[in-house]
Amino acid sequence: MIWTQRIVLILMGLALLGLTLELIRKRRLREEYAVLWVCTGLMLLGFAVMDRALVGLAGWLHLENATLLALLCFVFLAAIVLHYSVVISRHSEREKSLAQELALLKDELEKVRAATREAPTPPAEAKPRPPALRT
Amino acid sequence: MEAASAASPGGPAVGLGPRRALVVVPAYNEADAIGWVVRDLKRHAPWADVLVVNDGSADDTSQAARAAGAKTIDLPVNLGIGGAVQTGYRYAWEHGYDVAFQFDGDGQHRAKRLADLAAPLLTAEADLVVGSRFLRPRGMTATGMRLVGIKVLAAAVSKVLGHRITDPTSGFRAAGRRAIELFAQEYPQDYPEPESLVLVHRQGLRVKEVPAAMRRRRGGVSSIGLWIGLHYMTKVLLAVLMDAFKAPVRLDEEVAP
Repeated sequence: MIWTQRIVLILMGLALLGLTLELIRKRRLREEYAVLWVCTGLMLLGFAVMDRALVGLAGWLHLENATLLALLCFVFLAAIVLHYSVVISRHSEREKSLAQELALLKDELEKVRAATREAPTPPAEAKPRPPALRT
Repeated sequence: MEAASAASPGGPAVGLGPRRALVVVPAYNEADAIGWVVRDLKRHAPWADVLVVNDGSADDTSQAARAAGAKTIDLPVNLGIGGAVQTGYRYAWEHGYDVAFQFDGDGQHRAKRLADLAAPLLTAEADLVVGSRFLRPRGMTATGMRLVGIKVLAAAVSKVLGHRITDPTSGFRAAGRRAIELFAQEYPQDYPEPESLVLVHRQGLRVKEVPAAMRRRRGGVSSIGLWIGLHYMTKVLLAVLMDAFKAPVRLDEEVAP
């Protein structure tokens, strides 16, 4: 690989890693969501340093070096997007559950308020609740 | 009018005997119809509690439901039919109801038929009973593309369940305690009626259909208007097939130590 290519790869890898780590440091990005970005940056750096690996792999696949890099970037980006889909699904599930819990609690609250208005000293009724749901 | 006189308001609690029943009515912008639906339920099924789940309506659905005397839960955001119905099942589970009915807020279901719907639950024949528009003797026909859509979907769901289902999109249902527990914990979001049948089956619970005629809707906009269209059909079929591959839900967790 020519040295200009290596320099560009190293700069790209360092920029990606630096940006990711800086965002984590400023608490604007949670580690959980940064793992794949860090992996992408490390891959770029790794191939810049061990360019034989990249050339070998490209030859084995009958691809140009640059094409292989683009392909690998695509794979990592696809993994990142898939990860986001999982995260979004989890969040929408939680949001739904929270909205439901909030509405049910509001109803309970109204009942308790109505009961306290009617009887200033309500009997403490310990009603056994069914086991909590795992949501 | 024999059913009406048997279940007159203020009369004895006929219906399900000692079992406690909740009618869950999901409602989204149904202010025109909801009052009528609640009063209809109170007249023909006075033995059941009525819970309207207002799914973040922009109109006076909540006020109308309360004015008609229903317990009303107001969701802070619009969750869609699946999320609204599940709120009702969570309520039913937490308050220890034995039977939870699903009943549309637009007036197309018949309150008089609720006791019939619950019959297979009482005889322990099924865990979830679905009122079908297409079973004789009270059969009815949908028209055109909608009928084709329902037929195709029915064939797919029947295949997954291993027995005949004629009306997988019916939202007129009765759930026993086990189905309530399941639905309180896991309820499909996208196309809940057909998908929940697959979920129930995958969980080892039994589904049974009984004949149920339905009215024309009294107001609001049907979410089933979308049934027309191959695109929608494909998505529902895909969702149903995906459900058949999902791992079962674990229910017997978190027993107090």
